[in-house]
Amino acid sequence: MANSGENGFPEVNPYAEEIVPLSGHNKTSEATLSSPNETEVDITKNTTGRALSHAANPQRGHGEPTQADITEFIEIAQKLEQELRAIVIGQDSIIRELLHALFAGGHVLLEGVPGLGKTLLVRTLSDALSLKFARIQFTPDLMPADIVGTTIVAEQVDPNGASPATRRVFSFQPGPIFANIVLADEINRATPKTQSALLEGMQEHTVSVGDRTRPLPQPFFVLATQNPLEMEGTYPLPEAQLDRFLLKIMVNFPKAEDLMRILDTTVGTQSLRASPVATGDQLLHLISVARAMPIATHVKEYAVRLLLATHPEQVHRYVRYGASPRGLQALIMTARVRALLSGRYNVSLEDIRAVAYPALRHRIVLNFDGLADGITPEQLIDTIIGELATEA
Amino acid sequence: MATLMSSRIVAPMPKLLDSEDLIRSLRPWRKQLFRQQMLHWLLRGVITGLVVACLVLLAARIFPWATAVYWAVGLGITSPLLALGAAIWYRPSFARTASVIDKRLALHDRMSTAWELREPSKGAQQSSALAELQRHDALEQLAKSKPATAFPLRLQRSTVLTLVCATLVLALLILLPNPMTAILKQQADLQARLTRQIASIEKKRRQIDAQSTIPAKEKQLIDQILSDLESQLNYESQNAKSEAEAQQDLADAQTKLDQLRNPQAVTRIQSQSTAGQSLQHSSDANLQAMGQALANNDTKSLAQVLQNLASQASKLSQAQRDQLGQELENAANQANLNPDLKSALRQLAQALTENNAKEIANASQSLQAAANQTAADRNSEATLAQASQSLQNAANNLAAPTDNPNGTSQGQQQNQGQQEPGQGQGKGQPQQGRGKGQGGQQGQRDPGQEEGRGQGQGQPKQGGNSGTNGQGKNEQVYVPGQINQGSGAQSTDNNSSAVQSGDQVSYSQVIAQYSQMAHDAIDNSSISPDDKDLVHDYFNSLEGR
Repeated sequence: MANSGENGFPEVNPYAEEIVPLSGHNKTSEATLSSPNETEVDITKNTTGRALSHAANPQRGHGEPTQADITEFIEIAQKLEQELRAIVIGQDSIIRELLHALFAGGHVLLEGVPGLGKTLLVRTLSDALSLKFARIQFTPDLMPADIVGTTIVAEQVDPNGASPATRRVFSFQPGPIFANIVLADEINRATPKTQSALLEGMQEHTVSVGDRTRPLPQPFFVLATQNPLEMEGTYPLPEAQLDRFLLKIMVNFPKAEDLMRILDTTVGTQSLRASPVATGDQLLHLISVARAMPIATHVKEYAVRLLLATHPEQVHRYVRYGASPRGLQALIMTARVRALLSGRYNVSLEDIRAVAYPALRHRIVLNFDGLADGITPEQLIDTIIGELATEA
Repeated sequence: MATLMSSRIVAPMPKLLDSEDLIRSLRPWRKQLFRQQMLHWLLRGVITGLVVACLVLLAARIFPWATAVYWAVGLGITSPLLALGAAIWYRPSFARTASVIDKRLALHDRMSTAWELREPSKGAQQSSALAELQRHDALEQLAKSKPATAFPLRLQRSTVLTLVCATLVLALLILLPNPMTAILKQQADLQARLTRQIASIEKKRRQIDAQSTIPAKEKQLIDQILSDLESQLNYESQNAKSEAEAQQDLADAQTKLDQLRNPQAVTRIQSQSTAGQSLQHSSDANLQAMGQALANNDTKSLAQVLQNLASQASKLSQAQRDQLGQELENAANQANLNPDLKSALRQLAQALTENNAKEIANASQSLQAAANQTAADRNSEATLAQASQSLQNAANNLAAPTDNPNGTSQGQQQNQGQQEPGQGQGKGQPQQGRGKGQGGQQGQRDPGQEEGRGQGQGQPKQGGNSGTNGQGKNEQVYVPGQINQGSGAQSTDNNSSAVQSGDQVSYSQVIAQYSQMAHDAIDNSSISPDDKDLVHDYFNSLEGR
C-alpha cells in the first residue's frame, strides 16, 4: 500500500520487492506492483550511486567544461549565495564555506550552539536548489532503521484486478536518508551506533538493508549539525564518521548589527522563503565543472606537505592522529571551488591555506597533552601554515 | 554584500592563446628579473667584499698579518665577481619567472599554473578549454603590469646604507695607522737577520766540512748540529717566531757544540804548552827550539829538532847530556796532564842521559806522536771553538737592532779574528744605555798559528769568566773565574767577580787578587799535587814570577 510519510515520501512505494500471496495459491512472483513516483524516479533514475564518479570524470559524464559552463556556474553560485544571505543573516563566511562543500560534492558538519540558524541554513539551501530535503532529529533513542528505513509486511491489491484477493508483500519503507539534502540535526545527540548509520550513505551513496543495497538519490548531501561536545548529553562522533564530512564549519554567534537584522526579518508577519535557483541536475553538472579546474603541481605538493605536517611525526606534541588522505582530497576539491568562486581558473596556494581550516580541523585528533593545554586544531593548522611559509 | 566573483570571468574570450604566447609574454619579465637579480647579487657581492675586507684589515690590527692588504683587496674584488657569476649561473628560468611574478603581483599562482599547463601533455589530465581559459586569464592579469614597474632596478635604502657604512669603515681601517705595522717591521727585520745568520752558519758549516784535520765523526756531529740549527732558524724565519726563540736555538746549538769539546784535550794542550815554555828557558839551543815547537805545536819543527838532538847526542859530554836530561825531566814534570808527552819527555831524558841512540830514536817517535795527538786535539778544539764562535756571532748579530750598538759591534770586531787567540765577545744589553758587558772572553790557541796572545784560556766547563768593560773592548785580559761557573762559550758576569759590570779595571789591579784567590782555592782543594802545581805555575806565570 502506498505510504504517506512525514518526510514526503511517495505514497506508492517504489521499493516494494517481494510478493507473498496471502492464500498461497498463486506462487508467481512479481518484481514490483506499485508504480514509482515520477519525480522520485527522475532523481534517482539517471543519477545512481556512481553519479559522483561520473562527475569526477567530465569527459565521460558531461563532456569538457566550456566557458558557458563556467558562466553558468558563476551565475548559479551567485544567485544561490544571494538567496542564502537574504535569509540567513550574519553568517556570510558560513554560507561561503557551505557553497564550497556543495559544489565540491561533499558533506558538511556544522558545529555551533543551538539557535544560530544552522537548520535554517540547510533548509534554505534545499529550497534554493529545488531538492528533496529530509530532516532527521537525532536523539539518544533514535535507531539506525529510523534513518535508513526498514522492510515491513503490507497488504496489496492486484493492480490489474485479475485477482480479487489481496496479497501480503514485504515492502521496503525507505528512511529519511533517501533525500537529496539530509539535515542530520544535532547528530551528536544520538548514540554512535545510530550515527554510523550514515556512514555507507555518505561514502558510497547507497544504503544496504537486509540483502539489498539501494542507491541514494543524487545529488546527495548530508548537512549535519552538532552542538559543542562540552554540552551535556552528547556523544562525540567517531573518527571514521568525522572523516566523511568534507568540511567542518564552525558557526559563530552573530554580531550585534546582524542580530538587529535578524530581528527585523524574522520577528514579523512575513516569513521569507528562498526561490529555487538550480535543479539537482544542474548542481551535478556544476560539481563536474568544478572538478575540472586546473591545479598546478606545486600547489598539489603544497597540499601534500600541509597534510603530512598534521601528523604526529611533525607536531607530535599535541596530535594523536593526523589528517587522512580524505583530508587531502577535501583540500583539493574545496580549493578548486574556492578558486572558481574567486574568479580564477586555477587553484592557488592561498586557496589551499584558506580551506585548510574547515577541511582539516575535524581530521586532526588531539592527544591528551593537546586537550589539557587547551590547544585547538585551528592553532595547529596556523602553526603548520606558518612553518610551511617559512620553508618556502 | 560582497559578490562571489569578478565580472571578467564571464567576459568573452577574445582569442585563443597558446604556449608561444605565454613565452612571448614572459620573456620581457624574465629579462627584467635577470637584470634585477644581477644588480642585487652584484650589490650583495660588493657589500660582502667590503665587509670581508674590513674584517681582514681589522684582524690585521689585532694580529700581525703582513699580507692582510693583499687578502683584503683580493677578497674585495673576488666577492663581487663571484656574486656576478652566481647571478649569471642561476639566471631565472621561465618557471621561476612565473613563480616570482605570481608572488610579486599577487596573481595567486596564475602564471605558475599557466606555465605548467602550457604543453598539451601537461594539460592532458585537465580540460584543455579550462587550461586555455586559465592561460588567457593569467596573461590578462600579467598585462596589467609592466616589468620595469614590478621589478625596478633601484637600490633599496637599507642596501645603500649598508654599502656606505661598509665603505666608511673600510676607509677608516685603511687610513688609520695600524699598530701592527711596527711589529711587522720588526718581524721582517728579524727575518732578514735570520736569513743572514743562516747564510753565515751555512758558510761556516761548509768550511768545517772542507777541513781535513778533524775526525770524520766529529765533523759529522758538528755538521748535524749546524744543519739542525739552520732548519730551526728557517722554520722560525718562515713562521715569524720571536727573536728569543732563535736565540734559544742558537744557545742550544752552542751548548751542543760545547758538549763535543774534550776537557782532557785542553789540558793536554796546555800541558804541552807549559812543557814547551819550560824548555824555552833552557840554555841548549835544541831544547829551546824543541820548547818553541812544543809551545807552538809545530810538529815539523819538532821533528827537525829531535833529529838534530839525536845526531848531536853522541857528540855531547856526559855532563851536557845529564843537563839536557834534567831539563827534559823538568819539562816532563810540567806536562803532568799530558801523560803521553810526559812519558815521551822522560823517555827522551833517560835516553839522552844513557846516550842510547836507539832509545833516543824511540823517545823521539813517542814525543812526536804525543805532539801529533795534541795537534789533533788542538784542531778539534779550534774547529769547535770556531763553530761555537760563529754561533755566538750569529746570536750577537741577531740581537743587534735591540742591543747596544757599541757593545755589539765591538764584540763582533773582536770575534771576527777567528785565528787569533784570546778572542773576546761582548754583548750589550739594551736596558742599559752604556751597554753592560756580558759574556766571557774566550781565548784559544789556533794550531799552527802563533802562540795565543790572549793570556786567558777559556776552559770549557770551567768558565774563564771575566767581566770585561762595558764597551766590550778586548783587552786580552784573562782573570780566573770560579770553577764550574759558566761555560767557555757563553758565560755571564756576576757579582762573584771583583770587577763591576761596565767598570774599566786594569789587569794589574785584579791579577794579584785573583791570583791569591786561585792559590788559596787550589791549596784548600783536594786535587792532586800535580794539578795544584799546574795551577800555581799558571798564575805565577801570569804574575811574571
